[in-house]
Amino acid sequence: MNRNGNLAMNRRIFLRGVGGFTLAAPFLGSLNEAKGQAAADPRRLVIFYTHNGCLTDKWFPQVQNGPLTAADLTETLKPLAPYAGKLLLPRGFRSMNAYAQGQTIDPHDQACGSKLTCAPISTASTRYAMAESLDHTIAKQINPNKNTPLVLSVGAASTKVKEVISFQGSEMPFPSNVNPQTVFNALTLGTGATPTPTDPGPGMSPEVDYHVKRGQSAIDLVRGDLSRLQKLKMSTVDKGRLQNWLDLLRDTEVGVGGMTGDPMGGPTGMPAACNADTATKLGVTAEALKAASPTGKITGGTTSFGAPPPPGNNEGDNNLKISFTQGGDMMMNLIALNMICDANRVFVFLYPGYVVYNWDGMAFQNDHHGLSHRTGDNSVGGNCGVDGVLDKIQSIDNWLAGKFAKLVGLLDSIQEGTGTLLDSSATMWLSELSDGAAHNINNLPILIAGGAGGYLKQGAAVNVENPSKNIDNGKSTSTCQNGGSIGNTGSTGGNVPINKLYVTLMNAVGCTDGGNKVTKFGVMDGTNANPGISNPGEVSTLTSAG
Amino acid sequence: MNACGRSSCAASNFSPVDSRPGQSTNPRVKVNAMNSWRLVFAATVLTGCTSSIDAPGGSGPNGMGSGATGSGATGSGATGSGATGGKGSGATGPGTGGSTGASAGMGSGGTMVVAPGDTNCNPGVPITSQIPRLTNVQYDRTIKDLLGLSTLSAASNSVPSNLLATDQSGGLTDVGWAAYKTVAEYISAQVMADATMKPNFIACDPAAPNCLHDTAVAFGRKAFRRPLTPEEVAAFDAVIAQGPDITPTGAPAEIAEALLYMFLISPSFLQREELQETTDSTGHNTLSSYEVASRLSYMLWGSMPDAPLAKAADDQALGTPDQILAQATRMIADPRTREMTSEFHRSYMLMGLNTRWDNTNKDTTRYPAFNRSIVPQLQEETEMFFDDVTFAKKGTFNDLLTSTTAFVSSATAPFYGLDPSKFSAGLTATTLSDRPGFLTRLGFLNAYSGGVTTSPILRGAFVTKQIIGITIGAPPPGAEQTPLPAASETLNTTRKRFEQLTAGDQCKGCHTPFVNPPGFALEAFNTVGTWQTKDPDSGEPIDTTSDVALDDTGETTVHVTGPAELMAAIATAPLAKQQYTSKWVSYAYQREGDPNDQCTVNQLAAKMTASGYTIQNLITDLTQTLSFRVRAAGQ
Repeated sequence: MNRNGNLAMNRRIFLRGVGGFTLAAPFLGSLNEAKGQAAADPRRLVIFYTHNGCLTDKWFPQVQNGPLTAADLTETLKPLAPYAGKLLLPRGFRSMNAYAQGQTIDPHDQACGSKLTCAPISTASTRYAMAESLDHTIAKQINPNKNTPLVLSVGAASTKVKEVISFQGSEMPFPSNVNPQTVFNALTLGTGATPTPTDPGPGMSPEVDYHVKRGQSAIDLVRGDLSRLQKLKMSTVDKGRLQNWLDLLRDTEVGVGGMTGDPMGGPTGMPAACNADTATKLGVTAEALKAASPTGKITGGTTSFGAPPPPGNNEGDNNLKISFTQGGDMMMNLIALNMICDANRVFVFLYPGYVVYNWDGMAFQNDHHGLSHRTGDNSVGGNCGVDGVLDKIQSIDNWLAGKFAKLVGLLDSIQEGTGTLLDSSATMWLSELSDGAAHNINNLPILIAGGAGGYLKQGAAVNVENPSKNIDNGKSTSTCQNGGSIGNTGSTGGNVPINKLYVTLMNAVGCTDGGNKVTKFGVMDGTNANPGISNPGEVSTLTSAG
Repeated sequence: MNACGRSSCAASNFSPVDSRPGQSTNPRVKVNAMNSWRLVFAATVLTGCTSSIDAPGGSGPNGMGSGATGSGATGSGATGSGATGGKGSGATGPGTGGSTGASAGMGSGGTMVVAPGDTNCNPGVPITSQIPRLTNVQYDRTIKDLLGLSTLSAASNSVPSNLLATDQSGGLTDVGWAAYKTVAEYISAQVMADATMKPNFIACDPAAPNCLHDTAVAFGRKAFRRPLTPEEVAAFDAVIAQGPDITPTGAPAEIAEALLYMFLISPSFLQREELQETTDSTGHNTLSSYEVASRLSYMLWGSMPDAPLAKAADDQALGTPDQILAQATRMIADPRTREMTSEFHRSYMLMGLNTRWDNTNKDTTRYPAFNRSIVPQLQEETEMFFDDVTFAKKGTFNDLLTSTTAFVSSATAPFYGLDPSKFSAGLTATTLSDRPGFLTRLGFLNAYSGGVTTSPILRGAFVTKQIIGITIGAPPPGAEQTPLPAASETLNTTRKRFEQLTAGDQCKGCHTPFVNPPGFALEAFNTVGTWQTKDPDSGEPIDTTSDVALDDTGETTVHVTGPAELMAAIATAPLAKQQYTSKWVSYAYQREGDPNDQCTVNQLAAKMTASGYTIQNLITDLTQTLSFRVRAAGQ
């Protein structure tokens, strides 16, 4: 079936509002009208990434294999219940670079660096991954301008592997952007913007006209500079950098996103819905952006080791709170806006794990990582060291599930063609680890919302290892109810290489291997970290055809 | 041969070299091996779950993780096979199939193999990018020095880089490019509206004839860190000519603002370009005097050249090592070098956000005097110590281990056993004659310790790996889950409990000769850094004697009776000097463990054994190397 065909004819984007009701008319113009051509119906991938695992026996529903309904989602995943019919719960995948099974460096470094690369990590102190990550591989194929994926995070900007899962190539980290204002500016601000990027003023006024001309002048200048450099003898990598920059000198100077262009739609080549009105309806206003974008230092939060948590009047701690709450929610809006503007089709969004939760009713004394260990700090094993540690972890798990549900709900509230943004995308919650104390990466908790335009099975749990056999939900809550020894909180089985999930997703979003279906991703799919893919192919039971 | 490292490191990572007996000046040091094995290339190896001493992602002088730039990027994944070997270190070690990333990128003869300590070698020149973009920290500093602007009034007075994309050394992204443009708009508007900043950009009346052209030429020299080419001058003249079309009213001041904007989004401003294509007699590309000036200022200051350095570049007076040294010596007195040096020492000590330093905490029921609020001062006292030795004392590596100058406040005084009433709230200098060097101070002793008891492993591993520079393999799986044996009649000191903990076959190979001994010597300080002579629980006397290994073989050991002797031993250990130098080279050149730099490390480390060779000498000597002066050809 040609998924790009009929749907595209009447593809319009509407905002129904997160509550499901339609936001104020007038409806936004069609993407394709603005482009003046039958544009491809986009498929998209969103990776929502969280650290330190979870309480797996609370996270996983009891259903093993078969239909997944709202009634199954009663514990951690309860906020997702309204979307049960659009969820796919693949069970039994494992990432392949676990501490002492693969490399022996650091469980978190290995898990993060290898997560999206399926490759070993460097033994240099940077610990960067030794291959390109999935988001880049996919973006090269499906992004409108072959542009790089949009990689976002809450918390402080970091180039450390503990907070980096996206890699442009071997030992080439692609760290997250953490400032919503910066992300917004990339969408909206050409040189044509007024000094206040979020207050674009009237449409094609003389002011916008000079801005457009200034933008063209800037393109000419920069292109001239880069072209002169291109004539010099340089390494392939440097030449690649020059080309990257040249590739960015497209229409961007006229104000991507329509914020400075025609109020009835974006500038030439941009989707009509991509305008200030849409942004406002999404809640992306100048005031909201400012409130959601800390301007100073962001800490990991203050640990207080047994004492009551500090009041949070420390600037860095406050900024952390803002970033995790308003900032993260704004990032979701910006993901939606990027989709509407078709500025990017591949998104990675991280909630880093070395932070003290001190908001939304949580007031913890230890950071998420320390809690996940059950000890309260970096130490591993031994005795449970924090009172009520399971409740605390559960609170964080619930909070993260709520955030994922919020993103899913937002994308599902925006009509696109005959479906929603969610329907045309695969929006995946991916976890660094299974259980945080065990640091195991078998039986990974993974949840995919949206079927990528019908490719993926919906409303189903799928045991990818052995559908006729029960899968282990893990023993996360088996200890530390009342102190005592932490013991083994992990699980057994669930060892299907995650590469196969990634291959399935690549096919779902429209990647090919020279026109054929993709069958392989990554450097290795075994626990010994030897190069080579021994188990190629997608997982057909995850597809609607399978 | 010892069990540590050997069990977890591939044999190919080692090669035989002379152990250079006789270098030690310490009579208590015994060198057993005349022909020992040494790690060719010391890659740090992490020991477990972030509790370990290593904090990955060490940064360079300009605030960015090293590694991805330059040779690594070109270099294929040649290091991959080593890494998949799994267990240990030295994946990039030369000699293990050689070549690594750099030589792959070079497409020529490969990387020379130089063993640590070997000074009879030829320094290599790694391939580096000719167009690295400014890091965000460099951007902020450059804007400050170029225009006098530190914060953006249009963005809640944040530093400019708050709005830039997060540092990454790959190609520019749409987010990154848009951010440069946004920030350039803000800066150009702010500068033109500010009577103090404006002259930094434009010195004449924009309406006066030729003013804008002259500004392009004069300001361009500063912004591009070299004179503009005629072609570039023509391009900016074209922008000026378009002025009425690209500004609201065409007023000259508006055109000036547009001109400044154009400079700030130019690749030649945003990249530190090295474009000269002439080669020297050895086949390396020579650098123009402007390119040398830029290397100097960004290495020492993380910013653009100042006026005297720019003049030296204009005068072509940066062609010889002596000329470069003269500038470096001048520049090192500038506060910006002190900032850079502080940043280095923070990375040497693994300080920073989400590190053990940052997370220092104690059980306050046991140590009621401890309060989290002193943690910032614990870092600060350590930073002040390094600054004092490096700049006020013009000290040597030896002084870092032996100086008794300390910085104490009324809040930290009790832990030093001092009367708090004699100190103020801020840190002031005093002398602690029984606490030589940075490893006997509250900062380190608290950070590398537990909440309830000391941890000889944490302290010992830091000293052994990070300071002495001995390569230790990762602990076996599950090691860190092993609980510390409870205190008992026989296990009546922390030391005894840790000895028991690490006595097993899988542990003792590393712990007995390498990891534990420095930690045991530091048992003289309790977990909050106060002197102790008796175990706090049992009252048993504490034993601080140990035999500390000073090289990878474990065969060169020194017997110490306590902290002071431990510091004296480290101060004279060649490997520790090699380690300190190596960290400096990685930091200053923003590339970690490049085999091409091994010879440079060796030769600089050898200089450090000469008496009176100061840390400042080392810093300026980093500008004297071949790889600083030229860039690799054949790309």
